[in-house]
Amino acid sequence: MSTIQQHALRLDEAARSATAVEQLDPESRMSLEEAYAIQMASIQQRLRRGEARVGMKMGFTSRAKMSQMGIDDVIWGRLTSGMRIEENSTISLASYVHPRVEPELAFLLGRDLPEQVTSAEALTAIEAIAPALEIIDSRYRDFKFSLPDVIADNASSTGFVVGNWGDPRIDYTNLGLAMSFNGQTRHVGSTAAILGNPIRSLVAAARLAAQAGEPLRAGDIVLAGGATAAEWLEPGQYVRLEMQQLGSLGFHVEE
Amino acid sequence: MNREIIMKPESLQLAAQQLRDAATSGDFIAPLRERFEGLDIEAAYAIQQHNTEARLAAGHRIVGRKIGLTSRVVQAQLGVDQPDYGALFDDMGYGNGEPIPWARLQQPKVEAEVAFVLGQDLAMVNPTQVDVLRAIDHAVAALEVVGSRIADWNIGIIDTIADNASSGVYVLGSTPRRLEDLDLDLCGMVMERRGEPVSVGVGRACLGNPLNAVVWLARKMAKLGQPLKAGDLVLSGALGPMVPVQPGDVIEARINGLGSVQAVFQLSANDEVSA
Repeated sequence: MSTIQQHALRLDEAARSATAVEQLDPESRMSLEEAYAIQMASIQQRLRRGEARVGMKMGFTSRAKMSQMGIDDVIWGRLTSGMRIEENSTISLASYVHPRVEPELAFLLGRDLPEQVTSAEALTAIEAIAPALEIIDSRYRDFKFSLPDVIADNASSTGFVVGNWGDPRIDYTNLGLAMSFNGQTRHVGSTAAILGNPIRSLVAAARLAAQAGEPLRAGDIVLAGGATAAEWLEPGQYVRLEMQQLGSLGFHVEE
Repeated sequence: MNREIIMKPESLQLAAQQLRDAATSGDFIAPLRERFEGLDIEAAYAIQQHNTEARLAAGHRIVGRKIGLTSRVVQAQLGVDQPDYGALFDDMGYGNGEPIPWARLQQPKVEAEVAFVLGQDLAMVNPTQVDVLRAIDHAVAALEVVGSRIADWNIGIIDTIADNASSGVYVLGSTPRRLEDLDLDLCGMVMERRGEPVSVGVGRACLGNPLNAVVWLARKMAKLGQPLKAGDLVLSGALGPMVPVQPGDVIEARINGLGSVQAVFQLSANDEVSA
């Protein structure tokens, strides 16, 4: 079995059993291609178990995060059907290693997107937009990882909750948002934090997905990137995101 | 350390004088809270009042107020649970995109805010949310260029109150809006330098809602017998983190529903304002 396959199985098992593992590549020696190959092989395991691929998530969508990780591009992960969480449902912390949550803007595509798209083409492919909450949960001990580590680990993506799909013709470049826990607002921000304009994230998503041989298709969901810092999940929380013009969504957390 | 008894009028005057001198000389001073014993919030406002009177005596007039310390994060950093206020004078305002002379500024930082212009006095006893809603004529996007006469911005609440709530100058946008057209709770804010977001935020970041800040100020000023009046400008408080600026910077802020506002900083103190 190849090293890539071994790493992939290890991460898949870590995610499935909600157990932390040691970093694969703490010295960052792996190429990004190898890291993405591990991610693909790891997601393959889920698809074999009957999950479907439903979209992608974008990560490091701010200059601050990119420079912190020593990269000048966004990273991405795959969304599968098993990661969908119903709005207003309850999640169990036992299913995760050490989960955090962050607010996102979600795109629903009405049309396929090729590798090279202009933002105008990306705009016309959007069927709907929605506020969303992404649960990120690194499989690495203490949430510590190198750049190849996090890419191999599906960019920490673990679950997502999407609110009501709204009209994509509104100007969503600067929608205010507030993420609250049991009614207490903890993180506020704007969709402008996503690469200065979330459409840039969708253009990057089209490029990266096509380069990986899995171009974006009609019906795919793209989570454009975290709009604020992430917050740890704790039992007893009701997590809620409110977004200007697009409404709100939430979920509950238990042990 | 040479400590003084703050309650003496001459100590208040001395502190006020030191702040004025620092503003003109650019030699910023050590925190007042470390040098004047017994300096409390009331005394700090008394120091501010000394310098307000000095400006009025020099022929200036008050055109409104600014509210500071409206962010829960900043309040926690300073260990306080209340906002503060300062006076806005006639010579502090700059037009949208109008170059701001660097020499006007002291350790400048910029923050994006909702500015309100009042159409009615708020002279009643303990103004309510309804009174404030009715009194506001319109809102406009604003960039406040705060400054500090305290070296390295080493401020506590006492220092900033005495220093006119760390006010500097401000720039107003040019697309005023009525309240019914706005979502003051969830309006997104982004501030950019050369197209790169340097600060983002939302209406709720200002005391839960910018209107809460105005109600607080209206009550405070009514109680002090200096009520807010029709025509007054109120800078209600930052919607996101403040950002230090350098000579030559151009900062643009957009507040969703309120349009944009641009602050242009001159390259250096010696720069001529180009026509």
